[in-house]
Amino acid sequence: MEALAQEKVEKLLRGEIKYTSSNLALNMLISKMQKRIQADPANMESCIKEMDEFLSKYPIVAKVDLANIMAL
Amino acid sequence: MLITLKETVGLINDGKILHIAADDSLLAKLPKGKWIGGTTPYFMSEEGGILTKDRLFVNEIDFAEEIRIATYGKYNVFQIVEECYDNGLTMLIMPYGSEVAAKYSKEAPDVEELLMHPTIGWISGADLEAGGPFKVYDGTSATAYDDKAVVMYIKLPEGKSAMINMVNIFSDDKTDPVIRFDDNDLSVTDCTVNGQKVNFAEYIEKKGFDNRMPLVADHNGSYINTSIKAIENGTVSFYAPVFRNIEYRFATKFEDYASEFKKKIDEVGAHAPVFSFNCILNYLYGDLNGKKTPPYAGPVTFGEVAYQLLNQTLVYCEILG
Repeated sequence: MEALAQEKVEKLLRGEIKYTSSNLALNMLISKMQKRIQADPANMESCIKEMDEFLSKYPIVAKVDLANIMAL
Repeated sequence: MLITLKETVGLINDGKILHIAADDSLLAKLPKGKWIGGTTPYFMSEEGGILTKDRLFVNEIDFAEEIRIATYGKYNVFQIVEECYDNGLTMLIMPYGSEVAAKYSKEAPDVEELLMHPTIGWISGADLEAGGPFKVYDGTSATAYDDKAVVMYIKLPEGKSAMINMVNIFSDDKTDPVIRFDDNDLSVTDCTVNGQKVNFAEYIEKKGFDNRMPLVADHNGSYINTSIKAIENGTVSFYAPVFRNIEYRFATKFEDYASEFKKKIDEVGAHAPVFSFNCILNYLYGDLNGKKTPPYAGPVTFGEVAYQLLNQTLVYCEILG
């Protein structure tokens, strides 16, 4: 994940910005990760790694989601 | 498509890959082949909502590069995340009230990797008047099970991917009280409401119980419902489990269930769903008998799976790319 994208995703996972995807799985994943990071901020690194893997699994919709997140 | 037994047998004998939903009396007559099935006599067909025991709802899966079919019990159902195709779609059917369905419903949200693999499915049902049997079928051996999940792994061609989504008419009002539970369970006695411990059954009865309105949890803008099954002797049971560490609220009420459902269907506007499974509670409360819900056609189900078990929801899958 590019540095700028990662910065935005980290903000999203900390709940500092809000984004709802049209991809149900991504919304479920964000919700899960937000709880993990709330429990322990040190989980951010593993969440970013997992998010990277997730977005590569859904390349068609991930492009749209990442562009939308970057625009926030 | 809703077709006759003879037409369905023809498709199986032609070697087509099929997903089939029908009354048990029909599924029991099908030959071996490349199909999986589950019981229900309720359907949202292209002609409208219908209860029928003389036709079968059949999806032909003509977009698969290859498929595999397997069955699992409660001890190994989560092998689906290991055994699925890298670029594919997993479809599973589980019998209503079975241990495998209970296990899946309680543990799926915590299964690592599940969200990495598009997973859709449904809980098989039966005529509400008859109350059973609830079965799934592995077409490769034409065997019925009432205690196993049947799974079809569908491999997609390069450049295609599966997208699972849902239509849910419910949402919440963030000013309403927050309800939390201590454990992942299908029935509860106590909960906390805005941090204060109360008996959940008493709380509901005081509030005025409307069994059409589920609990909802906001998962980053996607609302997940938990429908109340019964209140008996101070215990509240659900059609899907509640989970600890999740904030619930009661769904916001609306005037007319049927018109709300139609409005939401029009709003979501999926293009070409290859599968869709709609809840029996939507069918009943939304008065869908005889009503059409294009482009969504498929079995009416006793629980829906979009990664995890859902309630009072329509789930669907589109193939993108």
